[in-house]
Amino acid sequence: MTSAQDKSQDADQDRIQRRVNKILETRLESDKDTLDALNGLSSFFGENTLKNRRNLRSQIEHRSVGINENFLKAFREVKLSLDAVCDDLDTMATSVQTMKTDLETSKALTKDLIEQTNTMQQERERLEVHQQIAQAFLARFQLSVPEHQLLYGTAKDAPIVPEFFKVLDRVQSIHAECRLLMQCGYQTAALDIMEEMTLHQEGALERLYRWTQNHCRNLENNEIGPLVVEAMSRLQDRPVLFKYVIDEYAIARRAVLVRLFIEALTEGGPGGNPRPIELHAHDPKRYIGDMFAWLHQSIPNEKENLAMLFKKCDKHDISEQMQKALCYIVDGVCHPLKVRVETILSSEKDTIILFTISNLLRFYQQIMKQVVLGGSLEQCLIDLQKSSEQIYLNALASQVRSVLQRPAGSTLALEPPQRDLVPPASVARLLNMLKEILSVATMVDGRQADITKIVSCVIDPLLQSVQESAAHLPTIDMGVYLLNCLYHMQSTLAVYEYMDERVERLQAQSDAQLDTLTSEQASSLVANLNLGPIYTILQSNQTKIETNLLKIFMSKMDAFLELPDVLLLPQIQLIMSSSHRATVQRRAFNVIVAIYKQIYDRVHDPANGFQPDQMLQKTPEQVSHILLSP
Amino acid sequence: MNKMRSVVNKLHERIDYLIEKCPNMTAAPYNYNYIFKYIIIGDMGVGKSCLLHQFTEKKFMANCPHTIGVEFGTRIIEVDDKKIKLQIWDTAGQERFRAVTRSYYRGAAGALMVYDITRRSTYNHLSSWLTDTRNLTNPSTVIFLIGNKSDLESTREVTYEEAKEFADENGLMFLEASAMTGQNVEEAFLETARKIYQNIQEGRLDLNASESGVQHRPSQPSRTSLTNEASPNRDQCSC
Repeated sequence: MTSAQDKSQDADQDRIQRRVNKILETRLESDKDTLDALNGLSSFFGENTLKNRRNLRSQIEHRSVGINENFLKAFREVKLSLDAVCDDLDTMATSVQTMKTDLETSKALTKDLIEQTNTMQQERERLEVHQQIAQAFLARFQLSVPEHQLLYGTAKDAPIVPEFFKVLDRVQSIHAECRLLMQCGYQTAALDIMEEMTLHQEGALERLYRWTQNHCRNLENNEIGPLVVEAMSRLQDRPVLFKYVIDEYAIARRAVLVRLFIEALTEGGPGGNPRPIELHAHDPKRYIGDMFAWLHQSIPNEKENLAMLFKKCDKHDISEQMQKALCYIVDGVCHPLKVRVETILSSEKDTIILFTISNLLRFYQQIMKQVVLGGSLEQCLIDLQKSSEQIYLNALASQVRSVLQRPAGSTLALEPPQRDLVPPASVARLLNMLKEILSVATMVDGRQADITKIVSCVIDPLLQSVQESAAHLPTIDMGVYLLNCLYHMQSTLAVYEYMDERVERLQAQSDAQLDTLTSEQASSLVANLNLGPIYTILQSNQTKIETNLLKIFMSKMDAFLELPDVLLLPQIQLIMSSSHRATVQRRAFNVIVAIYKQIYDRVHDPANGFQPDQMLQKTPEQVSHILLSP
Repeated sequence: MNKMRSVVNKLHERIDYLIEKCPNMTAAPYNYNYIFKYIIIGDMGVGKSCLLHQFTEKKFMANCPHTIGVEFGTRIIEVDDKKIKLQIWDTAGQERFRAVTRSYYRGAAGALMVYDITRRSTYNHLSSWLTDTRNLTNPSTVIFLIGNKSDLESTREVTYEEAKEFADENGLMFLEASAMTGQNVEEAFLETARKIYQNIQEGRLDLNASESGVQHRPSQPSRTSLTNEASPNRDQCSC
């Protein structure tokens, strides 16, 4: 037992030792709890009394109880709170349960609604697509607001802008595309749109027409812009509007052309250069020529401007309208032109100048006819030409009258023929005047009628006067005198054109005189050669010719053959034309030769019992040779 | 619905095509900027009409008939990138037409005075033609002397030097040309136009004046001028 005691002793000792060690080993300074406890203890007492030391334990326990009681109190509150929370949760659970039930119920209720919503949403999407298509459709088949404004203008009298035509094109293309729409089965819409576009188009064209017309009305500086050209091409399908615009243009240009014409007449170019045309009014040829040249040169410009106006009008043949418009534009100058030309014509007295003017008028009448056909300018020129022709013919006639009028008498007559039987001075004067007129430069073809008239105007009264004044003369003198006058006229006229007929007529008259003179000369020769009785015998069928008669004839004949001229009538020498003279002589001598031949044949006929050797030694051939060889 | 879409698309294409085809609205209607008026003068038979024909048609006209009064030709040329329309009045050389042709000098911007190098008489008459021209045209009228028929060297009667001297003395431009071969024909007409254009540039020609022989056509008329400026220009009319 000891050992056990020992052992327990040892164990106690060890335990104690371990505890002591532990205490010893305890490092109080590092043990915070102990330090805090000690700190607490140190403040626990006021003073170190026995009572205090004995009551320490109870005091500590007392305090401990207090603390626990505080704990308990605190936890009770917590517990109460938790209980309240628990209650609340319970209530909530109940509520939630109720709500859940409610929710379930409403869920069941809203299912239809959701389905409905979904359907509607799909419907909306579908409608949106519809809307897009509709918008696209409208964009294609309707005009936008800006387009509408372009088409109709934002204000009254708003000018046409280039975009206008694009919109108009669009209106037309929409209209055209309505056909496509119709083929796709949208007849109603297509027809409605077509109608609308037609209205748009009409409205726009109406506006375009007013603008173009207005523009043409104010077209002063000849400036045809691209818009007008385009406008005209659009208006060509509306013949009435198109015509009105052209009319307006023609009226405006007509006024401008008249103004320019008057300016050229009265003011001339810048600073008077070129000088005003009227400055040359004293020189009628130049004055009238300048006026017509100005007019002629201004026509190509008008023509070109018209061509410009119609540049894009290619759908119809508008050449007639163009020609009409040109006529109308040019017609305006008729009045000022006519007044001036007529003034000149009525105041001018010189036949030559009048004839020149008439020629000028005819020339321009033909020139103008090539550029502006029809219209009143052409008529005006025809009238002027006719009246100028009348005036110069009248002037010419009165001039001829004044030459032919004897200073004293009132009847038409020439100075009486002189003994030399040459044409009187008046004939030469009139023929010179005629020559002068005929040599005036004529510029127009087909002037034959003119010339014939002029020649008649001079020659007819002249011939009449010549014949009247010759009437008192003896036959031979008359013949020679007339022949000389005719010869003068003939030789004057022969060098000119278109005189064939007149010269022929004069020739016929000359021939008549030549015949007369020939027969007079022949008769005279027959008488002088004592051929009368012989010729009578020859004409009758008597075969016997008295030898005596033949002898006298022979001696006269020999003398005649020696000097043929002796027996010529003195007046024959006064024939001016040597060929006329020769003709009369030759033809008269021919008669003598013919008679001589008859006598010769009769004498040499053995049946008649002449002795031919003593008479008529010359053969007819010899006689003919002597008389007729030049 | 698809059918409708395809229709709309088709229309789109067509409209684009149409818009593309739509003509350009801003292009000027006139294909030239100026008109110059010329007159051709000279004795009968020197080849005035042939020169004109060679210039306008680029062909030689054999057996050219006598001109009756006046004839008219046009051609558009280019000077300094400006298009110029020449309006050429070809006059008859025959004496009987003098009264008529004299009226056509009025307001010519250029006068082409032609003689025949193989006929001295036509050269001798130049001074009378020149007097007429000076009397009847503006001081600013450009006068160009042309010795025609330069191809007929073997029958030449007027030397180049002599004519050149005459031209220099009288302040004329001068070239020998041949309407038959076309040699120098273009040059004569173009040189004249250049000189006129130069006169315009230097302000020696009043474009706004009527009868100056030159008309101006602005190639790009402003939009406003169509509506607003038309009336103020009333007294500046260039035609």
